[in-house]
Amino acid sequence: MPERKNSNQVLQKGKKPLYKNQWFFLLLAEVVLAVITGSINPRFFALSNITNILEQIAVLGILASGMTMLIISGEIDISVGANIGLVSCVIAMMIKNDVSYFWVVLVALILAAFNSLLVGSSSLVFKAPSFITSLGFLSVFRGTAYAITKGVFQTIYGKFEALGLTRLWGILPLGFLIGILIYFLAHFILKYSKLGRHFYAVGSNPAAAYLSGISIFRTKLLAFLINGLMIGMASMILLSRVGAAQPTTGSGLELRAIGAVVIGGTPLSGGKGNILGTFFGVLLMGIISNTLNMLRVNPYFQEVVFGIFIVASLAVSAFSAYAGKGVFKKAIRQSKEG
Amino acid sequence: MSEKERLVELRNIVKIYGEHMVLKSVDFDLHAGEIHCLVGENGAGKSTLIKILSGAVSPESGEIVILGKKMKTLNPRLAIEMGITTVYQDAEIVDSLTVAENIFLGNELNSKMPFKIDKQRQADETQKILENLGIDLDANELAGNLSTAEKQMVQIAKALHRKARVIIMDEPTSSLGLEETRALLTLLKNLKSQGLGIIYISHYLNEVFEIADRITILKDGEKMGTYPLQEVDLNTVVKKMVGRDTALFFQRKKVPIGDVRFYVRNLTKKGIVEDVSFDVRAGEIFGIGGLVGSGRTELVSLIYGALRPDSGEIVMDGKTVVLKSPIDAMKKGICFVSEDRKKYGMFLGRNVVENLVAVKNKLSRRFLLNLSEELRLSTQTVNKLSIAVSDRDQLIEELSGGNQQKVIIGRWLLNTDAALYIFDEPTKGVDIGAREQIYQIMLELVENKKSIIMVSSDMPELLSMSDRIGVMRNGRMTHILQNDGLKEEDLMRLFIGV
Repeated sequence: MPERKNSNQVLQKGKKPLYKNQWFFLLLAEVVLAVITGSINPRFFALSNITNILEQIAVLGILASGMTMLIISGEIDISVGANIGLVSCVIAMMIKNDVSYFWVVLVALILAAFNSLLVGSSSLVFKAPSFITSLGFLSVFRGTAYAITKGVFQTIYGKFEALGLTRLWGILPLGFLIGILIYFLAHFILKYSKLGRHFYAVGSNPAAAYLSGISIFRTKLLAFLINGLMIGMASMILLSRVGAAQPTTGSGLELRAIGAVVIGGTPLSGGKGNILGTFFGVLLMGIISNTLNMLRVNPYFQEVVFGIFIVASLAVSAFSAYAGKGVFKKAIRQSKEG
Repeated sequence: MSEKERLVELRNIVKIYGEHMVLKSVDFDLHAGEIHCLVGENGAGKSTLIKILSGAVSPESGEIVILGKKMKTLNPRLAIEMGITTVYQDAEIVDSLTVAENIFLGNELNSKMPFKIDKQRQADETQKILENLGIDLDANELAGNLSTAEKQMVQIAKALHRKARVIIMDEPTSSLGLEETRALLTLLKNLKSQGLGIIYISHYLNEVFEIADRITILKDGEKMGTYPLQEVDLNTVVKKMVGRDTALFFQRKKVPIGDVRFYVRNLTKKGIVEDVSFDVRAGEIFGIGGLVGSGRTELVSLIYGALRPDSGEIVMDGKTVVLKSPIDAMKKGICFVSEDRKKYGMFLGRNVVENLVAVKNKLSRRFLLNLSEELRLSTQTVNKLSIAVSDRDQLIEELSGGNQQKVIIGRWLLNTDAALYIFDEPTKGVDIGAREQIYQIMLELVENKKSIIMVSSDMPELLSMSDRIGVMRNGRMTHILQNDGLKEEDLMRLFIGV
């Protein structure tokens, strides 16, 4: 029997030591990595390089924010890269033809959201895992992009530059600020809104969520919608910064986004996680990428590093989920018996 | 009896799940050429006992002797190798293979050509086994086309092919029709005469009395005795299955009962719930009893909107309500504490506060959460129900079973507009202390003129808490009884229909 508390006293906050937070380890890894790289190549700490890193992680951060909410609600989208490819090709063609930027922004957001909703609704209606439906739509989006561009590079040099190239006070990239804003927005949704609470609920236990009156369909679809809007936003910033689009633009970004989310402490099984972890996960991705450049690692080999990194982050997430519960041993035992 | 070979012997078996001792030093044995029936209420420990024998769970202490050999450890594979086969209702048969292929699955007959299975020889041998058992089936039939009963027979044939000496059947007839049951019982008698030992578990005592050589009765994990069939009659068995000490009964306070607030008429969901009508009054606890699989949970799921009825009406405060999903029921003030909190109640990985306020939040119209209000309400609930929780960030899975259940119940207490509470097995897997507290919560609810529907497999709980009891059997509510002077054995008789 616990001791009775005064009625005006509320439950105290849990005392969770700093080192039990996933983000703390990421920060540690980032500092170590930065110090090592900086000592080998001092240019790492140059203002221009830091600005460069911030610019590079802006797009990834926006995508990872949407992905965090999606993964928390128990779904996933691996067509993100192809979606970006299609959206940036479409809006690049619009910009080339001098369509007003108002329509460009609108089309980018709506098209990306529509695509993401296609992935989500097909998964929910056909009761197929979104991993598979998004794999299908990946091909649809990329194919469409090839068809409308006929495979031709869409360059927009000199146009639509503000989003990607503006630097406030000459240092802070606008894209990065938008990214930060979106982190805050995502954090707000997850922590302070009913919708965010529902994301956690449907990801943690869909049956219990249903019996508590939460519509699983609507909640998950909203997660896909938000994910789509983030993809639209990211496409614009990416196009603006690069100044050209082609169907393969953005390919591979989905894996980096998922990797950043997972290493940030959001398990793929859903129902857990937060944006702070994702922020540091994205930062780690950015620093690793920059470090590999600084240390002049062969770019092909960089792909290998990222692939390994993502698998390793999955392993970390699996082990931390099993840790201390003996579930891992049990799982192995069962698979032997089965 | 003594000249017969002893196939299996269990001595002093103890099994503990969490805080619960489900088997308290149970002895059991089986001879060749006999059918030994195991009877008892839901949760008496029958299934656990046979799981121990089939190696699926290991006991805390006790001895397992199979064919005279003392087993130090036992796992499912070893049990099968020792000749013990458990026949499950549906599992273990691959629908896309033929009967013969199923029987030879795992030790296929090779033909002269390497890697090629000799299908003809398999089919011939299967046909021989089937004929020998008097089973009228084609060896080349696809298993997917078979009925449940026929699949069970195929499993038995497979067991014989693997030289099984002991066959365990757990509630084999609960989804079978009368003729299929007949055929199965005949088959079992046939097996017995061939020298096999059969352990047969069933709620249907008339079947038990038809085929048993000996009967062992379990109650609350204790063995009440093993009797040769000639020495007992049905009444004695029922009495031994129940008949508990009065100390186990909770003495509840009586509450004045008001008008009818809620009723259902002719509620039907094809094949699951048939034509059920009953009413519940303000301040009343309406208990629903019956065997597992009698349609109790399905009935309350219909009332909560988690299942859609095919026909019938649900009336609340004089108005017919149509419940398309749980949210409709919630808005009408119906609350539902499900039987399996892990599967249908708890948000694992989330803290106690979030788990407590889930319903309250869903019913509010605001988009934003009121975190300080959440904290105030959950503190209040934690204190009121004395939920043992260290801090507000503690995850729900870290609490004990009783505290978890109190959190789930507390979630619904925060729904201030509630009128009808449905408790499905409210104290399943809950320790004694928490159990009494949950009863107090329920009594407080009825004192405040709420209505309660309580589904329970726990006989003392049903008898000590309910004002009236509805008996479910095969999807029908066969009786509605006023609970004064009702005895366990009377109720048990109605449950099993004898």
